[in-house]
Amino acid sequence: MPWRRTGWTVTVIALLGTTGLGLVAAGLAAAPAPPPRPGAGVAPTGSPPAPRVPPLPRAEPVDVRIPAIGVRAPLVPVGADAEGKLEVPPLERPTVAGWYQHGVTPGETGNAVLVGHVDSPAGPAVFFDLGRLRPGDTVRITRADASVATFAVDGVGSYPKDRFPTDLVYGPSGTAGLRLITCGGRFDRRTGNYVDNVVVFATRVP
Amino acid sequence: MKAKTVLVSAAVGVGLGTLLLPGAALAETIVSPASTPVGGTVVLTATTCNPKAGDAIFRVTGPNRDQNVRSTTAAAGGGLSAELFTAGFTLGTYTVTATCGDGSSAGSATFTVTPIGGAPAGGRDAGDGVGTLAAGGALLGSAAGGAVILARRRRHMAAAAR
Repeated sequence: MPWRRTGWTVTVIALLGTTGLGLVAAGLAAAPAPPPRPGAGVAPTGSPPAPRVPPLPRAEPVDVRIPAIGVRAPLVPVGADAEGKLEVPPLERPTVAGWYQHGVTPGETGNAVLVGHVDSPAGPAVFFDLGRLRPGDTVRITRADASVATFAVDGVGSYPKDRFPTDLVYGPSGTAGLRLITCGGRFDRRTGNYVDNVVVFATRVP
Repeated sequence: MKAKTVLVSAAVGVGLGTLLLPGAALAETIVSPASTPVGGTVVLTATTCNPKAGDAIFRVTGPNRDQNVRSTTAAAGGGLSAELFTAGFTLGTYTVTATCGDGSSAGSATFTVTPIGGAPAGGRDAGDGVGTLAAGGALLGSAAGGAVILARRRRHMAAAAR
């Protein structure tokens, strides 16, 4: 009788162990890979290059293409939420990026700002790979007037959200610039947010 | 003779204009900082206004605003200043045009009212895999505990049988 009980106990322990191992494996598989961090060598250097091409007239952007990381996404206008924070396209449309409509349009003199999610509950989103961009990579924006504004990446930086470089992103500029924003850095499970913003700095080229 | 007079007058005009132009170019309005998150404060300064001539008026125009702001202090570096609180401002770029107390123009400048802080551009589920990992860990712990107890019991049984 004791041996029969022992047999049952062994079976239960084996079942617990197998199920536990399975759950741990599933848990590890479910934890998403973190977004790439920009390297130290690609940080923006400060002063923007001199204007190389004449500015374009205002025309709303309709899509963004970044060949180096395989991005091609439609753009929707965004503003700010009730707290004054930059709006982001709805999470239900993670493949769409937003254009900050209170600023200039891409190609006009000044810094045009695009924002997109890094990920969503469904997985990586439109700007997941922004941190992989290197100086010289190109970003193409198709505008409502059918013109295409091409930008070359000057640098990529990662900034804590409470020390966001407002002036560098939204501040005045004598050139036609582009800023791409997404989240990055460590994911804080307590707040459900990433602690940093990744910002790509680019300047219009012919 | 007449043509010569015209030429001389023109030359004098150009000369005077050249001399006066730097003075006119100095008429300057500065907004600091040039961009502020909505709700922040910017300082408007008309550097060429003489405080003795009276207050300067800064006309602020932009997306949802057309208001006059009167200078309140003499600026440290010369001219007159006023502070402008941007709570309630619509995001966008505003133009400030200054007029000195004597009615002369003090130039213009722009500033930008921006969103506050960074962008909440992450949307992953905060509980990704954590619950599953915890449950798996708990089950593995139970299995290990059970195995230890079972091994001890077997050892006792084996000792008792000897």
